[in-house]
Amino acid sequence: MTPRKPVARLGLLLTLPALLLVAFALLLPLGLNLATAVRDPELAATLPRSAALLRQWDGIGLPEDAAFATLAEELHTALEDQRIGSLIARLNFERAGMRTLLLRTARAMPAAPASMALPALDPQWGDPATWHILRRASLGITPLYLLRALDLDLAADGAIIAQPAGQGVFLNLFARSFAIAVVVTGLCVLIGYPVAHAIAGLSPGWGRAAMALVLVPFWISILVRTTAWFILLQHDGPINAALLAFGLIDAPAQLMFTRFAVLLAMVHVLLPFIILPLVGVMRRIDRGLLRAAASLGAPAWRRFAFVYLPLTLPGVGAGALIVFMMAIGFYITPALLGGATDQMVSAAIADYVNGSLNWGMASALSVWLLVGCALIVSAAYYLAPSRR
Amino acid sequence: MFRKLVLIACLVATPALARDLTVVAGGGGFQDNARKHLFQGFAQATGQKVVDDIYDGEQAKIAAMVKNHDVTWDVVMVEAPEMVRGCEDGLFEKMDWSIVDKAKFIPNGTATCGAGAVGWGVTVFYDTKRIANGPTTYAQLWDTKTWPGKRLLRNGAKMTLEIALLADGVPAADVYKVLATPAGQDRAFAKLDAIKPNLVWWKSGAQPLQLVGSGDVAFAVGYVGRTAKAAQDGAAYPLLWQTMLFSFDFWTVVKGSPNVTQAMKLVNYMTDAAPLRALAQDWAVSPATTAVAQDPAIRAKNKAMVAEHAADGLFIDTEFWVQYGDDLERRFAAWVAR
Repeated sequence: MTPRKPVARLGLLLTLPALLLVAFALLLPLGLNLATAVRDPELAATLPRSAALLRQWDGIGLPEDAAFATLAEELHTALEDQRIGSLIARLNFERAGMRTLLLRTARAMPAAPASMALPALDPQWGDPATWHILRRASLGITPLYLLRALDLDLAADGAIIAQPAGQGVFLNLFARSFAIAVVVTGLCVLIGYPVAHAIAGLSPGWGRAAMALVLVPFWISILVRTTAWFILLQHDGPINAALLAFGLIDAPAQLMFTRFAVLLAMVHVLLPFIILPLVGVMRRIDRGLLRAAASLGAPAWRRFAFVYLPLTLPGVGAGALIVFMMAIGFYITPALLGGATDQMVSAAIADYVNGSLNWGMASALSVWLLVGCALIVSAAYYLAPSRR
Repeated sequence: MFRKLVLIACLVATPALARDLTVVAGGGGFQDNARKHLFQGFAQATGQKVVDDIYDGEQAKIAAMVKNHDVTWDVVMVEAPEMVRGCEDGLFEKMDWSIVDKAKFIPNGTATCGAGAVGWGVTVFYDTKRIANGPTTYAQLWDTKTWPGKRLLRNGAKMTLEIALLADGVPAADVYKVLATPAGQDRAFAKLDAIKPNLVWWKSGAQPLQLVGSGDVAFAVGYVGRTAKAAQDGAAYPLLWQTMLFSFDFWTVVKGSPNVTQAMKLVNYMTDAAPLRALAQDWAVSPATTAVAQDPAIRAKNKAMVAEHAADGLFIDTEFWVQYGDDLERRFAAWVAR
């Protein structure tokens, strides 16, 4: 008993750096990401007094006169101080037309406006729906981003409704990303399995050489590999030239900006991730089992289907999971090689981060992607053969 | 004591800058020549070191810089609507007209947060070595039977929607009136739907030249300055001025920059007549400085100036995009991903 304790404590001490790294580099950013998906600070930061009054309002009818006056005054000040931009972006995101309304109001209001000047300026200020939007935005947290990321929306009274038919785009995007990831995983397994089997069967010297060939692409940046495909798939590139030379096609084929190009490059990049675990598993399979099956009269296909394949399934599962997780988050390859209808969720996230600086939407999309992947991993874990 | 004095003297003698003065623009031939005449011209004239960088027009980087109080860019060239929006958002300093001479600019060449830099435009072009007679108007660009192949447009609602309406037969003078109405916006998207399978999108200014050159797209709408330079260097690209959409870029100073005064001085230098005249010798600029814009010698030399062909083209309405940009860009992003 006693001799074991120091060893256990030492083990814990040695894992501490790894645990700290996981906490800071993984859990903390994840937590911040989740928080960003629901945070709603713009109105409270830009119009603090109006936010306080709106929070006190009970939501029936219209707010009191003081709220009108305070809002008009604070909008004017925010415009003067060049602070109004983030608020306008946030509210215009919830309802189109808010940008025009707020800017017009901010520009028209004098420094000390009369209390009922707002509805006189624009009838939208007499509409409770406008005030409900402002009130929801003053609460500090919002489900709006998470809902919009699933093509849902908040109605005027706060109920969850579906977006109009033509406007929803994210469910389609998630489905497409999922489909591409599944196809890429399937192709990687189909192509990688025979290659891994061949490598596992080589003598040690040739086996090492073959593994080196599989690993060399890892040393090349993924951007370089994707750009190489860009050059290969060009209109006048080597692939088209070869196809023309062999007489397989009459005119250069459109290879670039197609789903085919995206799948091709993604399979090329992700293949080593399935070959490596499979080779490991296949090398460890006792060949004696196969010989035993042969001695019992099993033909080659039965030996493969009932002895070899079930033994390699854990490796297939591990490799496929890795490939799937990486494929679903791919950004560079679809962006460079795909057309507009081949873009995956990551492209939309990147657009929100780089283009419109809408961190709420970027985080919301990442949250749903994380949830989806977590569900898939859990499903794979519970369906794994070793558990039965 | 003496060593302390020497140290203090050294600190006082160097210009009090936190880091090098950084100017950022969109790259390409314009920036290469601007580096020589404008940025390094200022450096030589004042002894102030200037470094330059390239960006694709994405405002998010500037917004992140300003928000985090970690401003690494001083002077940025921005398109007109982004300059106005950035001013409202507090991304850019209000122009210091005591340092920058307001009187030297053309009408509408100044704004609260920006000083007019150069005009720019996009036109349709293609490789005449592959396609002998291509489309000459946007209506013809939509004709995929006569001219099959991919069409490359800039990724975004700005310019794309105007092009769609022009292709649909809306006269140039009425484009923004029509586009301001929901029916007009639906009309533009419906027209784009008609050739959606043939549309490809670019984000970086070098892509149109690259993809037309490699034959991956048949026709492209790209920056006319680069197309003209490529044509000058031997490429067989036609300059279809009647398809031009143009606007002005503005020099802005990022809010919170540690080098605001030097940045304003740089902006003033870059919009002065003499450096711009030197630049005009190497690159067909259309500056917003009156003295150079209306100089007959320069206009005669630079036939590829945007200003020369302004009458043929469509001016991109700044106020329209400031007002409707948010909603239309969002609608476009949803449409393009479908």
